Amino acid sequence: MEYVILGNGIAGVCAAETVRQFDSEGSITMVADETFPPYSRPMISMVLAGQVASDKLPIRSTSFYEDLRINAVLGNRVAEIDVDQKRVITQNGTSLRFDKLLIATGADPRPINAEGLNLKNIFFMRTEAHVRNMLAAIPQTKRALVLGGGLVGFKAAYGLLQRGLDVTMLITSGYPLSMQVDETAGKLILDELRDHGLEVRVGISVEAFEGNGSITGAALSDGTHMPCDLVVVGKGVRPALSFVPQDKIDIDLGILVNEHMETSTTGIFAAGDVAESVDISRKTRWVNAIWPEAVTQGRIAGTNMAGRQVSYGGSLSRNVLRILNLDVMTMGLVNPPENSDYEVICARDPRHKMYRKLVFRINILIGAVLINAIEQGGIFMGLIQNEIPLNVPNSILADSSFNFKQLMM
Amino acid sequence: MKQVVVHPERCVGCMQCMAACAVAHSQTKQVHTAIMESPLPKPRVHVGVGLFGEGFPNRCRHCNPAPCMLACLSGAIFRDTETATVMINPDTCINCASCAMACPYGVIRFHQDWLAPPGKTVAAKCDNCDERRAKGLIPACVEVCKSAALTYEEMADAMKKKTDEVARSVSTAAPENIPIPAGLALLTAAKKAQLATYDR
Repeated sequence: MEYVILGNGIAGVCAAETVRQFDSEGSITMVADETFPPYSRPMISMVLAGQVASDKLPIRSTSFYEDLRINAVLGNRVAEIDVDQKRVITQNGTSLRFDKLLIATGADPRPINAEGLNLKNIFFMRTEAHVRNMLAAIPQTKRALVLGGGLVGFKAAYGLLQRGLDVTMLITSGYPLSMQVDETAGKLILDELRDHGLEVRVGISVEAFEGNGSITGAALSDGTHMPCDLVVVGKGVRPALSFVPQDKIDIDLGILVNEHMETSTTGIFAAGDVAESVDISRKTRWVNAIWPEAVTQGRIAGTNMAGRQVSYGGSLSRNVLRILNLDVMTMGLVNPPENSDYEVICARDPRHKMYRKLVFRINILIGAVLINAIEQGGIFMGLIQNEIPLNVPNSILADSSFNFKQLMM
Repeated sequence: MKQVVVHPERCVGCMQCMAACAVAHSQTKQVHTAIMESPLPKPRVHVGVGLFGEGFPNRCRHCNPAPCMLACLSGAIFRDTETATVMINPDTCINCASCAMACPYGVIRFHQDWLAPPGKTVAAKCDNCDERRAKGLIPACVEVCKSAALTYEEMADAMKKKTDEVARSVSTAAPENIPIPAGLALLTAAKKAQLATYDR
């Protein structure tokens, strides 16, 4: 059996490990753009902040490919998939035959619409190389501009603050993390950031970047001008699927997969940030481009590719981050549509900066935002993921003393 | 291999396991000196309070596969293959709380520890008293438990005991189950009565 895996992010890595676990004979080839050993992508922001050395990023040994007898084709992107001939052609012309193919090419940073994007010192923050380039530029810079109030924007802003830069964050929506949290939590986070010296401007975006070679400033949508010598663009990601033959493999925002992580073409699978599965809390197709789902999807895809049928229950959005003195955990559907059948319970303890918002569909938890007191968050995750109907009042989950015992009636 | 078995119906919520656990994970291993340590040692077993004041010693189940281990961003969570214990390496832990988001029992806490780099907050949870067992001791929570809510035994034996208890409870000829002490029985009866009247 010939397996080809596109991408050496965590989905590809987990899939390769799983395939090897079940099939010691088959040949495995991995094609990937990044040449760095398999590493922890979420940790790159900690390298930027100087909390972690870049040699701590790899999460598999340097002999990962040899140990699993994987033929690694690195520094190479896939150009084309020939579905009928069962071949993959890379950008430098290598042609690889496959019986089972996994597309785990992940996602690329979403570009923005503004003039002057080719100036020096405008960065995305997605790969280890991006951070390396940013660190090289930092000594010559003083004022940074971070675009986007999402997770990447946050982590970039925090890292740059730690490096001693003046940082301004521009957020298009009214409060930070608008995709992850509700307005109350967003405002709490905003206050915390401002207390710690980060300049945050909401409801504003960049029209054009200015400079001669390197960036020196930005023209904003409110007509003002802002000097800056470093920019980080964190406006989310989009699945990397330009090479996918759309007449053969169905795509929407991502590559559509069934419960076995298989695409519309038999023998071709997709997993991780590039795959679009069903979201458990939203009950609709959704791309949840997050690390833990990539791990799970990679394992499920690998198991199915090796010939053992296992099903995937669907994905769930979730995130946890520690912002200065706030711990924020968010999962599932947190901003349900107005006048819907959802029950929303909010609890607030301003003295301890604790906030908890829980969203229920009758007695099934489908979403949660926790600010501080996040230790029990995993229990909520389990309840949402397995759609467990509660046999206790919904409200007990909102109390800070909630613990596992209270579900053991 | 022996492991810690929890018998929730016997827990009186005295929290002695928590104190013993904290001491067992201290630098000095003596309660008198442990309370003076900095960072202050903390328990890895957590007695949770039920809806009617009943206790439950909540500790790591060392799941296999372990959700926390799969979710760990830095590869700090690993399984000791000899003891099947899920462990956290404080040197590589980055305190990101991804494990807390994955743990379905809510048993992971974040604080400083004398075994971690000074000043660094790390994820901490039950390690099956790795250090004590290396010295031939049983886990501290079991040693201190007065109501036998925590026992240290072979899982097969524990399962057999439970099966026998169920068998005895439906057979009049069989000898009675080892009784739960009177005080504890009264407490349990009261809680059961409360639970029975409880309407969702």
